[in-house]
Amino acid sequence: MLPVERVIGEEGLSAAPQGLRLAMRLPWYRSLPFSTVAVASLAIDGEPVDLTDAVIEYDGSAWPLAANGEQVDSFWFVRDSAYLVLPGRSLPVGSAHEVALNVTVSPPYIPGMTRANPQTEMLTAR
Amino acid sequence: MTIPTGPQVGVTLYSFTNEWLTRQYDLPGLMHEVSARGLGPNIEIIGFQSFKEFPDVSDDFAARFKDLIAETGLNPVSCAINSDRFLRPGQQPIDDASLVEYHKRQLRSAKKMGFSLVRYQFALPVELLPQIAPYAEELDIRMGVEVHAPMWAGHPAVQAYGEMYDKLNTPYLGWIPDFGGTASRIPESMLDAARAAGAPEGLLDKLKEVWLEPGMSHEKAGRLREWALANGHAPAHIQAASLAFFILANNDPASWAALVDRTIHIHGKFYGVGEDLVEEAIDYAAILPLFRDGGFTGTIVSEWEGHAYLGTDGFEQVARHQAMCRKILAG
Repeated sequence: MLPVERVIGEEGLSAAPQGLRLAMRLPWYRSLPFSTVAVASLAIDGEPVDLTDAVIEYDGSAWPLAANGEQVDSFWFVRDSAYLVLPGRSLPVGSAHEVALNVTVSPPYIPGMTRANPQTEMLTAR
Repeated sequence: MTIPTGPQVGVTLYSFTNEWLTRQYDLPGLMHEVSARGLGPNIEIIGFQSFKEFPDVSDDFAARFKDLIAETGLNPVSCAINSDRFLRPGQQPIDDASLVEYHKRQLRSAKKMGFSLVRYQFALPVELLPQIAPYAEELDIRMGVEVHAPMWAGHPAVQAYGEMYDKLNTPYLGWIPDFGGTASRIPESMLDAARAAGAPEGLLDKLKEVWLEPGMSHEKAGRLREWALANGHAPAHIQAASLAFFILANNDPASWAALVDRTIHIHGKFYGVGEDLVEEAIDYAAILPLFRDGGFTGTIVSEWEGHAYLGTDGFEQVARHQAMCRKILAG
């Protein structure tokens, strides 16, 4: 996997008071407005995860994943991880899980282009 | 201070995208490394790649950046800005006034950090240029639109910009050629990466054939895809093979001659320079003399794009590319 294709962040999977937290990287060479990025799917141990209540956390702010398309003036710095938070979910600390995440990007200067970036990794919950 | 008498060489930090994304260097670290390796002093930085505060850089960050420039001895020539018009995928582009303001925000940030020019993009509708050019003049910062594959000197969009440039007649507007639009062949390193991803030789032979045919890049990509699916090739292999259509085009290298007069900066796009100092896809010996003999005295920034298909670092490649450019320019 090339650095520019990576979507699962180095910080991995962790249990947080607000729910399960997964680090994500932006699969592009530059920062993009969050509105041009979408979490297309997430599966843990082969089970698709319902993302209806999921939240994006980035740099001290948080918003519902469902409203991510409105974040036109909020930029995801390409070196940073953003976090996908799944309220009400948890996993035992130290347990290993297969995480399959697909993040799409639609670069805002290339009309009509959407690129899918699937990645599957074994992660140990922290 | 020496007055430049010919093209200068330099580097864009985009060449080090792998090192950047894998967090091997932060910005001060990367700039010090570029300086220590003697790859400057002239540099280009993509605002949205290297500056977290972009498009609105604070006075405090700009001051720290200027300190970093002073410490490293680098020269901030070009800041690449973006014409982000499609902020809501699948919906209408943002309105013209917002797009104009988006460019002004980036121009202000670039000026504040000490850059002498910006790279901008054809995604900016040409009719908005009269609203932006006076602001660039007021700030005293030049703007060069990047002529990037699939575009080239003869492309209708380039001609429309040329007509507007004639009309506005200001030294603050110009071209930034990117040599990927006039590649002579698909880089062997890119084909090797497709082979490593499992693409069979028959698919790559067809790619090389279609890539040389006339037509728009996206049409050619569609043609290869159709053929490949009909012949049972896997989508992942087709995707690996199709990269060539999106970053390289095979227009005539001599066509750059038409743009030399208004060229303010150059993207020395490349994929692999061997120990013999020859780039594998782009015929620099045919291109660089056009700019040297045409009186270009700006900077050719080495722009290694192998990171689109390789995980290796860009430092050695940039050093070789600069050596190649110097050799050709001296010849």
